[in-house]
Amino acid sequence: MSIETDNLLKKKVCMLGAFSVGKTSLVRRYVDNIFSEKYQTTIGVKIDKKIVEVEGKQLAFILWDLAGKDGIVDLRTSYLRGASGYLLVVDKTRTNTLQIAIDIQKTVRENLGNIPFIALINKWDLEGKWDIGEEVITDLRTKGWDVIKTSAKTKQSVDEAFKALGSKMIYQDK
Amino acid sequence: MMPVMIDESCDIHSVNTPYDQDDEQIAKLRSLLISPEQVEIATIKERLNDPVVHAEEVSRVLAEAVVIRASKDEKLAQALLPTIEKAIRNSIRKDPKFLANAIFPIIGPAIRKSIAESIRAMTQSLNETLAYSFSWQGMKWRMESIRTGKPFAEIVLLHTLIYSVEQIFLIHKETGLLLHHVSAVSSGIKDADMVSGMLSAIQDFVHDSFGVDEKNELERFNVGEYAVWIEAGQQTALAAVIKGNAPEGLNLTFIEALENIEFEQSQTLLDFSGDPAPFATSKHHLEACLLQARQNFKKTGDKIVNVAKTGGKEKKLGVYVSSWWVIIAVVLAYLLLIMFLFVIVF
Repeated sequence: MSIETDNLLKKKVCMLGAFSVGKTSLVRRYVDNIFSEKYQTTIGVKIDKKIVEVEGKQLAFILWDLAGKDGIVDLRTSYLRGASGYLLVVDKTRTNTLQIAIDIQKTVRENLGNIPFIALINKWDLEGKWDIGEEVITDLRTKGWDVIKTSAKTKQSVDEAFKALGSKMIYQDK
Repeated sequence: MMPVMIDESCDIHSVNTPYDQDDEQIAKLRSLLISPEQVEIATIKERLNDPVVHAEEVSRVLAEAVVIRASKDEKLAQALLPTIEKAIRNSIRKDPKFLANAIFPIIGPAIRKSIAESIRAMTQSLNETLAYSFSWQGMKWRMESIRTGKPFAEIVLLHTLIYSVEQIFLIHKETGLLLHHVSAVSSGIKDADMVSGMLSAIQDFVHDSFGVDEKNELERFNVGEYAVWIEAGQQTALAAVIKGNAPEGLNLTFIEALENIEFEQSQTLLDFSGDPAPFATSKHHLEACLLQARQNFKKTGDKIVNVAKTGGKEKKLGVYVSSWWVIIAVVLAYLLLIMFLFVIVF
């Protein structure tokens, strides 16, 4: 059953990150979806929807869940067009995913300018396998990035991340 | 009471009475106090009375005033309309070439597209005519053509014109966001927002994969008995989900709706930041696209082909009798008559 969104403010939001960082797992439990995940391996993107409540106002996120790639050259920039914000997902157990996220952020900035984004350091539940240290996260925050620690498995801070992005986008509109 | 005697030689004004001195002082004081204001009032009066100065003043705020009023209501546009129409008429009368040159970049592609559509429609009609010419169905329709006096191509078209436009999506091209959606069917509608996004993604996918120019759009695709037709405007796209075999030329209805919406909502589209509410006023344009053509078989055997707005008033295109029993009865009557005459003569 689809949610009535005719009168809601709608925003195109992209889910970006390297291959297998858990983007799809992050949203799977939280969003409405009608399309199979196989679309990501065919056309490279899957569309989902999430209603987020920010400052007492409901926003409809139309999520473009882009297929994760190991190289930045593979990012389909045409899918970014018209996005109001994005979630940049990093796998805490693989340092190279952070470098890919940094490259992606640079590409998005070149294509769309400084649009709001939140960096999600995912797989926070896999404590024994951590590869990215706290000092790296502090560095990112110093650079001006908004970083949120998430886990799709334990549902840690996923909703908070969506709300944080929603607030930033509304603030940007003002 | 004693009469007052006035000396005629005495000038009353030349006499400096204490009262006169007071008046002078008051006048001086007044001049000192309100002289700057008096100068200012004189300047304002001059501005108001001098048309050149007044026009100069108005010109400073005219642009801002027009923008403010235009954003509030439609009265400015209504007020300016007769003047603009008159100006255009005068301009054409004076030198038609000037306006023709100005609108040529728009009108040229529109004419080309219209001609291309007409040729495509004609080709399809011809193809259908040829395809049905030598089949059993074709023979039946040819008989029907002779009986009703209608051209064969028209009969073929009448029989094959069976379609229903089930859903219309109005999509913002840049973001892929759904601006409005209308549907003729209540069941089986997937989330229109997500479908709209996916249609945009497919459009991008086609551009990327085949290196197609941005100006060229994916216009049609067929899935089983469904077809999706996409018409792209400047900032919006209209996607129609059609069940059955729609005639070429139906897209002209979609193009017209799209043009009307883009014209009416031009400012809203420029300022669009995700709010779809203003596009609800364009619903009637989209509903006008929910057309269907269907073939009914009444109990008497009469066929009626209708083109109708779904749920709206039906418009009858043509009624023609196809009662084979009538034909057989007439033939039998002729045969009996011939046999009767044969018996009488011989």
